[in-house]
Amino acid sequence: MGEPFDISYVFEYLVKLLPTLKVTLLIVVSSIVIGLGVGFIVALPQLYKIPILRRLSQVYLSFFRGTPILIQLFLFYYGLPEILKLVNVDVAKLPALYFVILTYALHSGAYLAEMIRAAVGAVDRGQVEAAYSVGMTGFQAFTRIVLPQAMAISIPVFSNLVIANLKDTSLAFSLGIMELTGKSQTLAVMSRHFVETYISLALIYFVISFGLEKLFHLIEKKLLRHERRLAAEDKEPRLHKGKTKRFRFIAGPGFGRGGRENEA
Amino acid sequence: MKLDFAFIWTAFLQLLTAIPTALAITAVSVLCGLVIGTAVAIVRLYKIPVLYQIAASYVTFIRGTPMLTHLLLIYFGLPIIVDGIAEALGLSFRSVSIPMIGFAYLSFSITAGAYMSEVVRSGLLAVNRGQIEAAYSIGMTTSQAMRRIILPQAFSASLPNLSNMIIGMLHGSTLAFTVSVVEINAKAQIVATTNWKFFEAYLAAAIIFWGLTFIIERLTALAEKRFNLYNRGGVS
Repeated sequence: MGEPFDISYVFEYLVKLLPTLKVTLLIVVSSIVIGLGVGFIVALPQLYKIPILRRLSQVYLSFFRGTPILIQLFLFYYGLPEILKLVNVDVAKLPALYFVILTYALHSGAYLAEMIRAAVGAVDRGQVEAAYSVGMTGFQAFTRIVLPQAMAISIPVFSNLVIANLKDTSLAFSLGIMELTGKSQTLAVMSRHFVETYISLALIYFVISFGLEKLFHLIEKKLLRHERRLAAEDKEPRLHKGKTKRFRFIAGPGFGRGGRENEA
Repeated sequence: MKLDFAFIWTAFLQLLTAIPTALAITAVSVLCGLVIGTAVAIVRLYKIPVLYQIAASYVTFIRGTPMLTHLLLIYFGLPIIVDGIAEALGLSFRSVSIPMIGFAYLSFSITAGAYMSEVVRSGLLAVNRGQIEAAYSIGMTTSQAMRRIILPQAFSASLPNLSNMIIGMLHGSTLAFTVSVVEINAKAQIVATTNWKFFEAYLAAAIIFWGLTFIIERLTALAEKRFNLYNRGGVS
């Protein structure tokens, strides 16, 4: 199968693949940004226990976490134009990229909603009560007190979600998007240097996700600097240094992390 | 929009035949992943010199790259290696005789192994240090303490993550279509091409996955109840 292995092609294809990195990053960034909005809207009914909306958001979460992203991609790609035809909006000519971004946004939205819910739940109840006691309104208490703390708590999960989203974008090739994987498929088929192409593809993904993880680690450190002091004060004797550090891992196989969110 | 409900039902029935393939991929990858993951986790916990670095870079690399690239690398890379070895040894075995699904099994097991090692590791770390000390104090060997005391507790602690892994691998099995394994996604494509009703076919596929995910969640909830029996505290 293909031409004999030649390591020099790995570097050549690395250069050829890099321009398509911006398509991948475009999908990641825009779907995470939209997904955050979606996640908020979905999480709010659950946080404030609004009767009917709460059920709806549960169904939303269950669906997007209970089906593979690949199926969702096809479902939206083929289904959305038909649904929108009902209200006389013709999107059949729209580039597939928009469908891809929308699907990833809705998919990440479900996980982000869970993240927001868990993070807000993790903020001490006393904080809100204290905010109320100094005369803040519900909105003020949320934006000034709960949100900043919740953000710091949720950074590890958020980092995992962004990296998982990055890896999920490799599936966009199935709708013919020329992102990293799509481009590598074309390159591989044309040159018949399959292994070399996919090695350089893997390298790019690896570097990006590694960089993202380090970046989020820095952000987390920065956001948690007020916590750090507290943690240092109540020094407890720890038997095993290094083993007690907070455990974190990328949720699921980076692809359709169904079921409950892992305890992060 | 005219949603063809009759066709959704037809597609649904046809897709049911692809469920065993999807479940087989899931089961094989999760089980092999569990074995690899446990080995890797133990190597990493006990910091065994050379193996430790290998295990760490294996986990980092796999977790930093998409599952699809693993599959593609195995699918195109493995035949070169296998054929090379077979030729050097003068064997008649050639990579052509490896069934397509074998690549999926292998690649997904490797993927699952890396994630599973983290699941196992977090499970092992969740067990109180005092437990193993207590086991040693009554004269158990390390392997006895592991088998009888630590692993059962670690297992129940990691059940939620395990359930996530199983669901993740089930959803990941849809990738096998890239190496022409007919699982649910590929089957949906095949069914849809008979009359170009893609939306209906994928709707049926989504329903199947939703149902399977739901069942797995229920089953783990039951298992969790069973395995956490010891953990209730208070008077027995």
